Amino acid sequence: MATDSPAVHKSPDQVAAKALLVAIAAWIVPGLGHLILRRWGRALFLFLAVGGLALTGFALRGELFARQSSDPFGALGFLADACSGAFYFLPRFFKMAGPDVSRAAGDYGTRFLAAAGVVNLLGMLESFRIASGRRR
Amino acid sequence: MRGFHPGHFWAMVAFALCVSLAFAVLGRQSAGARVKYALWSLALFLAAAIGIAWLMYPFSR
Repeated sequence: MATDSPAVHKSPDQVAAKALLVAIAAWIVPGLGHLILRRWGRALFLFLAVGGLALTGFALRGELFARQSSDPFGALGFLADACSGAFYFLPRFFKMAGPDVSRAAGDYGTRFLAAAGVVNLLGMLESFRIASGRRR
Repeated sequence: MRGFHPGHFWAMVAFALCVSLAFAVLGRQSAGARVKYALWSLALFLAAAIGIAWLMYPFSR
């Protein structure tokens, strides 16, 4: 006769803490949140999408928004850039050509970098929702 | 990285590809629906960009 294994129930606090940790992991490395949740495909494609946008942005010599900005759009731009996690810190560890927004391509690069952060923000929110049981 | 100079069109295609991929992965659940959504989103990105470019063309000179 088959016996049912005891169901493991986590308290709401444990679920919330796990969801927060997953979201932080998803911020640090794009796709890592989904990887922890065993959503392999989503993790890989999210990493490729965010990485593709960020690396193309740097290659086009886009500029990261400054942390201190009197302009509200600049502050929003910084938030968007910072959401790309590890890719935000890439120029500090690798020698790159640096920003050049005097050409149109550099300006495009700036938008690529901001878009990378926004896409990763969407990934973070989704991994948070999956970890907290609000989404499959 | 220093020698990477894609034209405006290819930069736009790269942007559309990456964003379509992310939208499809995050917005749809099944693999088939994701592929369909990514292709549809990519086509709309490209059509909108090319359409707007042609609309601006008379004012470019």
